[in-house]
Amino acid sequence: MTRIPDVEGSDLVPRDPDVLSIGDRDAAEAAVRELADGYEDRAWGCMSSRHKFCREPCPVYQVTRNEQHTSYGFHATVAAMSRGLVELEDAYEQYAYCTQCGACELRCPNTLFTGDFYRNRTQLVQLVKAVRAAGVKAGIERRSWKQWNDDTVAYRNEMQGDPAEVANWADDLDLPRGGDTILFCDCMAAYRQTKVPQAVSLLLREAGVQFGLMNDQWCCGGPALEMGYVDIYEEFARHNLEDWRKSGARRVVTLDPHDYITFVEEYPRLFADFDIEVLHITDLLAEQVEAGRLRPERPLEVSLTYHDPCRLNKRRGIWESPRKLLRAIPGLDFKDVDHVSQWAMCAGAGGGVPVALPEVAEQVARNRLEAVKPLGVDVLASACVWAEDHLEQVARSDGALPVVDITVLLAMSAGLLDAEPWLAEVRRRRAASGNGGSPLAHGERVTEEAGP
Amino acid sequence: MSGTVTREAVSELVDVCGAQRVVVAPQGRLIRAMVPAPFPFHRWADEAPDVVVLPETTEEVVAIVKLANRLRIPIVPRAGATGLNDGAKPMRGGIVVDTKRMNKVLEIDTTDWTVTIQPSINMLKLNELLTPHGVWYPDDPASYPVSIVSGRVGTGGWSLLGSRYGHVRDNVISMEFVLPTGEVIEVGQGGGRKIRHSSTGYRLKDLFLGHQGTLGIVTECTLELYPRPEAEFPAFFGYESFEDGYRAVQPFCRSNLATLAGVILFDERKVEYLRRDDEAYIPEPESLRSIVAVAAYGSEGEVAAARDRLMQIGADTGGRYLGEELSELDWASRHDRYATPLHGRSRGRAVHMSWHCEDAAITYSQLPFVKRRWHEIADRYIAEHDVFDNWGMFFYTNNAYKGWGDFLVEIDIGVWEQRFDERSWQAWTELKREIAQVSLAAGGSISACHGATREGEVDLIPVELKDGQFDLMLKLKRLLDPNNIMNPGKYLLDRAYEEAERAGGAPGNPEGVPR
Repeated sequence: MTRIPDVEGSDLVPRDPDVLSIGDRDAAEAAVRELADGYEDRAWGCMSSRHKFCREPCPVYQVTRNEQHTSYGFHATVAAMSRGLVELEDAYEQYAYCTQCGACELRCPNTLFTGDFYRNRTQLVQLVKAVRAAGVKAGIERRSWKQWNDDTVAYRNEMQGDPAEVANWADDLDLPRGGDTILFCDCMAAYRQTKVPQAVSLLLREAGVQFGLMNDQWCCGGPALEMGYVDIYEEFARHNLEDWRKSGARRVVTLDPHDYITFVEEYPRLFADFDIEVLHITDLLAEQVEAGRLRPERPLEVSLTYHDPCRLNKRRGIWESPRKLLRAIPGLDFKDVDHVSQWAMCAGAGGGVPVALPEVAEQVARNRLEAVKPLGVDVLASACVWAEDHLEQVARSDGALPVVDITVLLAMSAGLLDAEPWLAEVRRRRAASGNGGSPLAHGERVTEEAGP
Repeated sequence: MSGTVTREAVSELVDVCGAQRVVVAPQGRLIRAMVPAPFPFHRWADEAPDVVVLPETTEEVVAIVKLANRLRIPIVPRAGATGLNDGAKPMRGGIVVDTKRMNKVLEIDTTDWTVTIQPSINMLKLNELLTPHGVWYPDDPASYPVSIVSGRVGTGGWSLLGSRYGHVRDNVISMEFVLPTGEVIEVGQGGGRKIRHSSTGYRLKDLFLGHQGTLGIVTECTLELYPRPEAEFPAFFGYESFEDGYRAVQPFCRSNLATLAGVILFDERKVEYLRRDDEAYIPEPESLRSIVAVAAYGSEGEVAAARDRLMQIGADTGGRYLGEELSELDWASRHDRYATPLHGRSRGRAVHMSWHCEDAAITYSQLPFVKRRWHEIADRYIAEHDVFDNWGMFFYTNNAYKGWGDFLVEIDIGVWEQRFDERSWQAWTELKREIAQVSLAAGGSISACHGATREGEVDLIPVELKDGQFDLMLKLKRLLDPNNIMNPGKYLLDRAYEEAERAGGAPGNPEGVPR
């Protein structure tokens, strides 16, 4: 079969100007052949179901309501490319519409009912990464992602921060380098959300956990891989592993879920001899609280709810330890939304979406903030600096509630950070927003009980 | 592909919706060539629409329909695209109007208990929004977590809880509807949008429920609300033969329980299918060959009383209660678990198969006959073609607010679509025609809930709708859609225009005014 012909007037619908194609036909065909080898049968696993139960939980679909931006759409397009009906140059564009949150994988009846017997768990995230990588290989790229990756290579971090200043956040903390346990401070945390690594460091020190920083921390490489830039990812990964090995590290603690998932899922795929234990900070801190080595005793009199970071909850099943930490803090009025309900939620900060499709990423965040409104809480807590930074930016522009990292809350409650300025900020934001807001997520009109 | 979409049409669509909501990319057209109904993938390219448009308002829908009517371009409404019939599959290319962006809730009325929506909202989402108000919308198809109200309107859908809460036709109170000429009408029971029962004029609403996209596009709906059930009680009973299960169904259906939401009978082949690597059913002994599942919904007191009576009926009919865990979990996962691609078998080998559900409306007395004949047909085709598999049969209570009368009878056939070629596709349509013939021989209807527009069975529509019914359908179609632009090719409705042409009338109507 050959590519289906364009309809007359197709040129009146402009292609996404962000997509750049400089490759040749042979390279694209070779990339599609490779994709088909790896993914065509898996695509049929999804298409044969066609239940589409994955659709409504998808945070991007919730914004675009376009079937192309669903697990089903992505799988079907791989099958269509395998049959030669669609060219990679056409298809590539739609694969940006995925935050790689993993909701569709969980909500797939194949995963739910036969994943265990047939080892056929739906793996959309890997498929999206593979198509993006096939694009890059064939010279089909997004200008925005290309630029972002060029910058990340130049700066060794995602924030375009001076590489020499990657540990400036720790200037006043006098932290050692190297050692058995390394604290991997995410790029966002190192340059912008610096309060988070500071809180984490204070908490670990308080609990008596020995740790050091890397000699020369580079980006984990995960985002480059998510965008399809395999070579860049590998360069970063090799550097970081070498740095850990040189300093004798046996364990790495992450404070950001994007780093965590890259280290536990991708590094072992790349390095056959990967033997570093990787631990996420919420798990480690929950252990310390349970063992009585951390004592959050200062009450924080605010009401809050918790946003499950997708890469912790949906993709790695870490949802208990953050809740344990929040429940350990006195004074908090914690209105929990269970982790399964949160499959349908996402901050919109992942998978390269904010770089390529900022309006979509913002609307995903806005939907997440809307879901908080009916709870009438003062604060949204999370455990992902990328989610928090993104949500906070949208919340500020919309006059919504403040967003905070769990580790900062814990450090305040443990008396390691001054809580007063933050509490004052919460009060100020609450007063400015009038608190709570409408419990309606769609802005609909409610006609209440009323006499004639 | 029809080739009727011109540059002018694309340009106008862009003017109406903006380029962002007009899709010309091949992948966007190809995924909208199909729905879950088995699809001839071996000629996928020929089945794709020319262009897809995603409107957000009634005004946009009107503008799209008007331009299609003026330029004589086929137009196919697409809602959730989760139907097991293929109403949303374009047969002549043209414009697919994908309405998923029309999903706003317009009013929740907690006094008169209605909700008015743009109809492309999913029922699960709708209920999330209704929950704080203590009400719900009870439409519960197998596709509950994904299908959307407008598609339920287009297919006239059936609900798993229909015996307690009615089906779509009972719970859609009124609609705003765009006719194929672009006129907007309000259609309900008569009177205002929230009137449920009236004797004024004709009962027009039913005409626009289950039309399979051939009569227009629904743009607003006012729906019935119910109190949220305080309690639900599902119970699964095992029987040693299909005959025992079949006999047990009647007492359950006639139990005089207003809370009875549904009764479902599983046959031996269905139980066998569920035992394919499905741990929930593996512990059940081999002697279990048939299952009857029942569910009651309502107030605490009523459901408690219903539980006692249903358990007694189970015991009296020789049923073995399969326990709280299986009953509750199976009922809770009823939307997900009964059609799993990987349970497909081709000559004993596990392959990805799609679920095809052939659904007829059959009276209770005829169920054993239909069951025997359908299995004979399915098994004969399976013996000849390695792309089909028999996944057994279900029988569901089919009527609103009662458990007796006719049943929704379904045979589930696994279809290995990846391997479809023209020979096996033709076999598939022949299989469907034979299945439909049996339904008609039993005095039944070809489809209880999905619609009967699919290749194969559609040939029998004039047989089922005999004695002038189909002729009246043709007249109505031509009256409302003078240029045959709305989902053309479906339900043999082209005959409306062929006959008019033979009689010397003009095939179309340049003004687009219904005569």
